[in-house]
Amino acid sequence: MSLTELGRYLRERRLELETSDRDYSASRLARRIGKSPAFISQVERGEARSAPAEETLVAWADDLGLDRDVVLALAGKISADLHETIRKRPRLFAQLLRELQDLPDHAVLRLVREVRDGEW
Amino acid sequence: MIELKRELHPVGGHLDRLIFSFPELHADAVLTVRFQRTLRVPDDGRKYPLPPGLGSFPLRHVDDHGERVPEAWRRHGGVMLPMHPAEALWIRFNAAYPFAVKVGAGKINAITGKRWDAGRLAGGRAQNFLTVPGQSFLDGFAGGKAVTLQFVAMPLGNGHTVEEQITGDAEYGGLQLQVFPLRREKWEEIKRAETDLMEVLAPGPRIHNMLRYESESYEPEVPAMGLGKGGQVEQKVRKHTWRLVDYATHHTSRCFVHLADARAWKAITGEEPPPEPTPVEAYTEAGLPWYAHNGSPHDAVEGSKALARLKTVKEVAEAKGDPLPGNSRVSPARVTTLAAWPDPGKARSEG
Repeated sequence: MSLTELGRYLRERRLELETSDRDYSASRLARRIGKSPAFISQVERGEARSAPAEETLVAWADDLGLDRDVVLALAGKISADLHETIRKRPRLFAQLLRELQDLPDHAVLRLVREVRDGEW
Repeated sequence: MIELKRELHPVGGHLDRLIFSFPELHADAVLTVRFQRTLRVPDDGRKYPLPPGLGSFPLRHVDDHGERVPEAWRRHGGVMLPMHPAEALWIRFNAAYPFAVKVGAGKINAITGKRWDAGRLAGGRAQNFLTVPGQSFLDGFAGGKAVTLQFVAMPLGNGHTVEEQITGDAEYGGLQLQVFPLRREKWEEIKRAETDLMEVLAPGPRIHNMLRYESESYEPEVPAMGLGKGGQVEQKVRKHTWRLVDYATHHTSRCFVHLADARAWKAITGEEPPPEPTPVEAYTEAGLPWYAHNGSPHDAVEGSKALARLKTVKEVAEAKGDPLPGNSRVSPARVTTLAAWPDPGKARSEG
């Protein structure tokens, strides 16, 4: 798993924010999310040996105003709550994802749960 | 197809609704149904204007709480909503495309008082359905020419409900809806014709839950409720103008809406129920608005003698030596007139 794309995504967003707000320097971001500036730099350059922990990625995404699920996906992870959802019914969700994977966005977003009509 | 759309209101409360659609017939064939909290009008022999909408009831799939609901509900499918004993409701219908809608309470037709007749539309003097658009809301059973007898929820098994008085059994409870869309080609004709819309919507205030009361911590054994007759509301059930053959009766969707005793709602769903209903006296003394719907030029159905003969919830309660409060006369000082077009329901209720 290459973390280059994750690093580039996080860095581009941080730099965009830094142009108007110095609080988005690497060192200040690092302090806020409880990591070292060197760590931030390493991840942004795609040089980390492994993806940061979920808690770190979530804090990082929140700080930069990024979607958590997107950041986690770039790191090869899914959030614990989604993981649990899939774990409860793995066959169902695997089948669903396979069927949906090639559909355009608007088709997927129209998935509708119907009210079941029984016997009465 | 029926979808339960859940939404939270921006300032609190729910905007949950049922959406009936018939995409196989026409993309425009969409009907939205919402169940509105309201005031219980006094059952004092007087006719009252339309009480306000005080927020939508929350709606939930029965399947999501399958182990905690009666086995009969699982068999029926459908959805459920919480009501406090002696709480009233009205139903809001919203569609541009024409539909025929049958409404039942405990599988007793709310317009005719006859037992539920699956799939069949009857017209003329035996009309057993509502026409939407046109009928933006239904507050109760069709008891007379321009009068409905308010829908009031009571626990099943004590003889209060219309179903129990007619059938002798407390089998179904709840509300039943069956929807029939107009034929596609008739709709296309309407769209091609020019329509001259001169009436203007008279906006009304948006009323939210004004007064909140603590719920009792009591959990009934059987959470099923049914609907009995309450006080009188000045309301017409409009006669149909489309012929029965104009409806695509082979395209139909139906939904069972179970009424759960609000005191059992938390045990069933894990969620707090809505607060106890606002007393009609407090609302009226506060000078808050009631509504009148004068715009319709269409005739009203005659109403059901069978329904008119039944005892109201108040009368059953009195006979049991357990009188129901909230039946002293009130005098609504502020009555807002709703225009007929395009959608008077929106001015009367939230969202």
